[in-house]
Amino acid sequence: MNDLVVPDADAVTDALRDVIDPELGYNIVDLGLIYALAIEDGVVTLSMTMTTPGCPAQDYLIAGVEDRIRQLPGVTDLKVDVVWEPPWSPQRMSPLARAQFGIAD
Amino acid sequence: MARIMVASRLSRWTPHFFALALVNFVGAQALVLGGVTWPAESLGSAGTLVAIHLLVIGWLLLLVLGALFQFVPVITTRPLESQTAALVCLVAVEGGLLGMIAGFVGATGGIPGLSGSLPVGGGLVTIGILIAAWNVGVPLARCRPGSLPGRMVMTGLAFLAATVTLGLLFGSVLSAPAALPRLAPVLAAVGDHALAGLGGWFTLTAMGVSYKLLPMFMLAPEERGALGRGVHVVGAAGFAVAIVAGLATIWHPAAALIDLQHAGEIAIGVATALYLWDVRRMYRERKRSVIELHDRAAIGAFAFLGVALALAAAAAAVHRLDGIAPALVFLIVFGWLGGLGITQLYKIVPFLAWLVRYGGRLGRGPVPRVQDLVRDGAALPWFVAYGAGVSIAAVAAVLRWPTAFRIGMVPVTIATIGLCLEYWRAWHARYVGTAPSVATARPLSTPSSLSAHPGDRP
Repeated sequence: MNDLVVPDADAVTDALRDVIDPELGYNIVDLGLIYALAIEDGVVTLSMTMTTPGCPAQDYLIAGVEDRIRQLPGVTDLKVDVVWEPPWSPQRMSPLARAQFGIAD
Repeated sequence: MARIMVASRLSRWTPHFFALALVNFVGAQALVLGGVTWPAESLGSAGTLVAIHLLVIGWLLLLVLGALFQFVPVITTRPLESQTAALVCLVAVEGGLLGMIAGFVGATGGIPGLSGSLPVGGGLVTIGILIAAWNVGVPLARCRPGSLPGRMVMTGLAFLAATVTLGLLFGSVLSAPAALPRLAPVLAAVGDHALAGLGGWFTLTAMGVSYKLLPMFMLAPEERGALGRGVHVVGAAGFAVAIVAGLATIWHPAAALIDLQHAGEIAIGVATALYLWDVRRMYRERKRSVIELHDRAAIGAFAFLGVALALAAAAAAVHRLDGIAPALVFLIVFGWLGGLGITQLYKIVPFLAWLVRYGGRLGRGPVPRVQDLVRDGAALPWFVAYGAGVSIAAVAAVLRWPTAFRIGMVPVTIATIGLCLEYWRAWHARYVGTAPSVATARPLSTPSSLSAHPGDRP
């Protein structure tokens, strides 16, 4: 790992697009599952949610996020919080994702 | 650490429940096709008893228990009490079922060595059910305030207890009629036994689970409001009143009790109509404009429930409910519960397969979507054939025409086997890589940034 490289939010967000919600088949960023992201001295802190509480894929999604972020150069540590407030709704999707699922604005 | 957490959210034995359930379902259909039984056959014949128990214990019970072991943690956000208990339950129920089948064959065929296996088999099934009720009942009871799906499943478990109790009473009276003379009339309560099992247990539970799964898959509002609560309260009260009053009339056939029984039956009809209206509302309020095949095909199951309700109402109006009962049971078992089961398996099986096969690879490399594990073009004809066959067979059952009924069962059986093949392909990911994925925000087949850093999880 190259400690001189400082990851930025765009790089982390872009990497998170490699992680999909398996049921919806779409990346978790454009689904609106990432609520907050902060990076300080190579430590990435993010809060995310699931499409429904008790989702059987929850632990896989968390592990997938952790694995993907830790691959980024300059990431020294990672903290993932799963939050349920505010609850996720399809309106949190990006316009591209909403168009994919035929969801009106 | 992550892997331990992951395991806790997967019901390890649920796929085995589904596989055995499907084997039993096809086995029961083979008996019908072979001319061993059909809905209007006497309940006392060995073939009918074997087919009925293959359907309600072998197919529906294993299907619903397998689904609950996976989805009660979703409903309650709490884990099951024990994964091992699920395996013990599976062995007990399937082993007990085989014992009961041997017992039926032995009792009617005069084979003394086999007839003794009936109480043993019944006891094993009861043990399996008790284990399952504990395993899902504890997380449901601890979930406060419970959700509507959770409360409906809990209510279903109460009716499961009533169903098992009546079944044990039947077994006791049949095995020792002289010892229990005052209980002997309970044998006339077969209809109440069926109402508790197919209605209070299977139907209320299926409704409850559908209130969680349908909104989740279609992106529809989960909160069902007064209408959903009405379905639960009116349905539960209706089944309870109809069953208790029906049992009471066996010993005291008073007019007031019979009126009470009819009031309960009306409440069941009202709750069913409310549920169908609410499901219609759910489909109309969904955010996902193009829904997946399992949700489209499930409309057929809801339609069969509606047809059963209309048929029951029409028959009751002309006092012919008893005469139409075999056809109603067929519509409920094959059309409503069976239809909902085979359509939702088309989603649940690939979802579980994805978790097992690809969950651990998420974030480490490209993975398919759940939808990539199935091929709708291959499954759609089977759903159509199943629905068409059930329709033909149901009409034949109403008309008491056994030949036409068996003709209708031919596509039902072929379709069931065809769908089993599709579930098998999904479970073994046979379709992955054979068809292009639909467009997503990032093409999943070539995640550029991932391919540049193919790190492995230790």
